[in-house]
Amino acid sequence: MSMSDSEKQAYQERLDRMAAIFSDIVSHAEESSRTRCPYRDRHDLCTALFRCRNQARVADSDSQELACTHDGTFDYRSAWESNPRAYERTREKIVRIKRDAAKRRRSRSEENQDR
Amino acid sequence: MAQLSDIANEFIRAEIEEFLERPEEIERNVALFSRVSPAMQDIAAALIDGDNVVVDRLTRKALDGGVGALEIMDDGLIAGMGIVGIKFREGYVFVPEVLVSARAMKAGMAHIEPILAASGVEPIGTVIMGTVQGDLHDIGKNLCIMMLRGGGFTVIDLGVNTSPAEFVAAVEEHQAHLIGMSALLTTTMPNMAKTVEAFKDAGLRDAVRFMVGGAPVTPEFGKDVGADGYGKDALACVELAKKLAVEVN
Repeated sequence: MSMSDSEKQAYQERLDRMAAIFSDIVSHAEESSRTRCPYRDRHDLCTALFRCRNQARVADSDSQELACTHDGTFDYRSAWESNPRAYERTREKIVRIKRDAAKRRRSRSEENQDR
Repeated sequence: MAQLSDIANEFIRAEIEEFLERPEEIERNVALFSRVSPAMQDIAAALIDGDNVVVDRLTRKALDGGVGALEIMDDGLIAGMGIVGIKFREGYVFVPEVLVSARAMKAGMAHIEPILAASGVEPIGTVIMGTVQGDLHDIGKNLCIMMLRGGGFTVIDLGVNTSPAEFVAAVEEHQAHLIGMSALLTTTMPNMAKTVEAFKDAGLRDAVRFMVGGAPVTPEFGKDVGADGYGKDALACVELAKKLAVEVN
């Protein structure tokens, strides 16, 4: 094995080790996210950029920080699941988006041919 | 046998004392940090603390001072991330803190990557990642980004609320062939289809591959919007990206 090959292998081993650490982290994140919102940090503050019913102003604080008031005792993710009707409406909307885009492209292409 | 007091960096000593519980992990980390240089301990400490500015500065300084990339990876970045992983597993820190440390690691790796490339370890590909327009959820996307970077991809993070035009512009700017779109709301999911259509409008559809994900997204939905693949989580995302990278390269 040449010097550059062994060097390449050594770097690749480090990258693989990093990937293994991240992989363990992600697996644990999946597990822990069943009862604790992933946006909730170690100070029990909410880091989400969006509004959530569980957010509350931190008492005795002038900051804009929001506390997470969820008790972490149940799987909150069901609240994120879409209902079947909304899902169907979404699919219909996608069909319309694709149809309109295709129509727009067709008419643009016809315009170009006319020129 | 190495002792905790042999570790020069006070922050690292406190981390091991306070957060590590398993005897074999304490022993391994005490042995590791007691033999590494103070400069590498400082990099590890800043990474654990999630300070990307300090990791960036110290990594550059170490390389300029002649420290090898392997040493920085082993004794600074990987050693620090190892502690973060243990703290996460034990419930001392959570996903937001892990992501901040991952960002710090990226800051250090930015200086190492040219050295890796010179040795022949090239990125597998460039992935453009974003949460679609109207959607502000980003944790799933950020975990995917962490995994993709760890898996050898260069990732351009467009953040949240990303318009179709921004995806197109990023692909053109970075000459990328992979796009990852995330959505957490049924109301914003149609914007995945709008983005795919924008690539058709721009004449770029055949040159790229789309991955989609997010809690309400399903494989069938992925097909509906015209995506090339669906990843149910960050681990699946990397496997999918590797598969699509082969197709597109």
